[in-house]
Amino acid sequence: MISKLSSSLFEKSHSYNSFLIFATLTSFLVGLYYSLIASPPDIIQGNSMRIMYIHVPAAWLSLMIYSLLAFSCVLWFILRNPLLSLIGQSLAPIGATFTLIALITGSIWGKPTWGTWWAWDSRLTSMLILFFLYLAYILLWKSVSNKDTASKIAAALGIIGFINIPIIKFSVDWWNTLHQPATISKLSAPSLDITMLVPLMIMMLASMFFLLTLFLIRMRIYIIEQKITRLVKTK
Amino acid sequence: MFKNLILRDIKLAYYTSANFIFTASFFTLIMILIPFVFGINIIDLKFIFEGLIWIGITLALLLTLDRIFSSDFNDGNLDIILGLGLSYELITLAKMIAVWVINCLPIIFVMPFISFIFGYNFYEILPIGFNLFLGSIGMTATAIAISSLTLGLKRMIYLKSIIILPLYIPFIIFGVDAGSWPIVFALSMISLVLLMFIVPYSLRLYGE
Repeated sequence: MISKLSSSLFEKSHSYNSFLIFATLTSFLVGLYYSLIASPPDIIQGNSMRIMYIHVPAAWLSLMIYSLLAFSCVLWFILRNPLLSLIGQSLAPIGATFTLIALITGSIWGKPTWGTWWAWDSRLTSMLILFFLYLAYILLWKSVSNKDTASKIAAALGIIGFINIPIIKFSVDWWNTLHQPATISKLSAPSLDITMLVPLMIMMLASMFFLLTLFLIRMRIYIIEQKITRLVKTK
Repeated sequence: MFKNLILRDIKLAYYTSANFIFTASFFTLIMILIPFVFGINIIDLKFIFEGLIWIGITLALLLTLDRIFSSDFNDGNLDIILGLGLSYELITLAKMIAVWVINCLPIIFVMPFISFIFGYNFYEILPIGFNLFLGSIGMTATAIAISSLTLGLKRMIYLKSIIILPLYIPFIIFGVDAGSWPIVFALSMISLVLLMFIVPYSLRLYGE
């Protein structure tokens, strides 16, 4: 019942597709205009600071997507709805890509500010490990041919990874540190100026739209794929 | 019954592939490679040795991944063990003890002897060995949990390694620092608790 309802929900999302693509493109254009042209350069870092407008949304989304993935895994254990494993399956490559974007842009940003492409700093290392956790999840789906078994293993793996992320974060924090502390998370008084915060928020919104578009497209593909295999089986 | 299950695994390892000697000699050989890679300056070697112990135990555990449940699964013994009437948690515990005795105990036993070649004395080795003891419990638990999850799937050794290596990073980070043994102990206990959930879950999956 739930499965039927939600799968038709995802299929109907087809009609919002053009709107979502439009929203993604316009918000990216507006965000890039504000972040690259309209906002002032940083006093200390100059124009190299503008990488932040790509780097920070990608890093946030990579963590958010993993949380969503783990949440879908937990829900899978409760509801045993096959749609939930599809959600994880379609989120994982997007999350891995955002992690990679965050890592690469961070490395490019690190060259002018820290003087090296890569530092063995706690945040960089834990992001790299997060990337490998995503990769393990994707490879599991690729290498297990029986999708029913794969969904059972993947649900457990997603939760293990989610438990492990704070442990890795905590352990790597102790190990070595250079990265600046979070500037935005202090809700009361952000240390970022408002002229920089607004473009960042627009870019964040654009990335969210981008994520939603990709996610819905992938979900529709998986649902159609399943329908085709079911049809082939009955024939 | 519980004791017999542990003894069975240990005897099987002893008679079939002499696991005790294999793991210990594998670990020793990896450690002997260090001077060939980093030169023979004893002060540098001493510094490197302490970290490479953890690489050695990681590699030794990765090699055993395919044997933990798979051999029992392939020859059908797993079905008999599951049908014994023991609770799955007890079977998990028996497996945990057996795997730890077969794969980690020889390494912990042989480690002090190798460390003497690298210029350590007994009192310096004691905290490192204690840390290795605590960490190896958690690392074995993680290895068993992951290999039980991928049970019944053929040629999964690379996938298992990719899943397990990120999970070993906290153990290695805290294990190298001998002063942080309480954290290593806590990590091992967390993974033991998780083991008690994951292995019965995956055994039920394949028992059906």
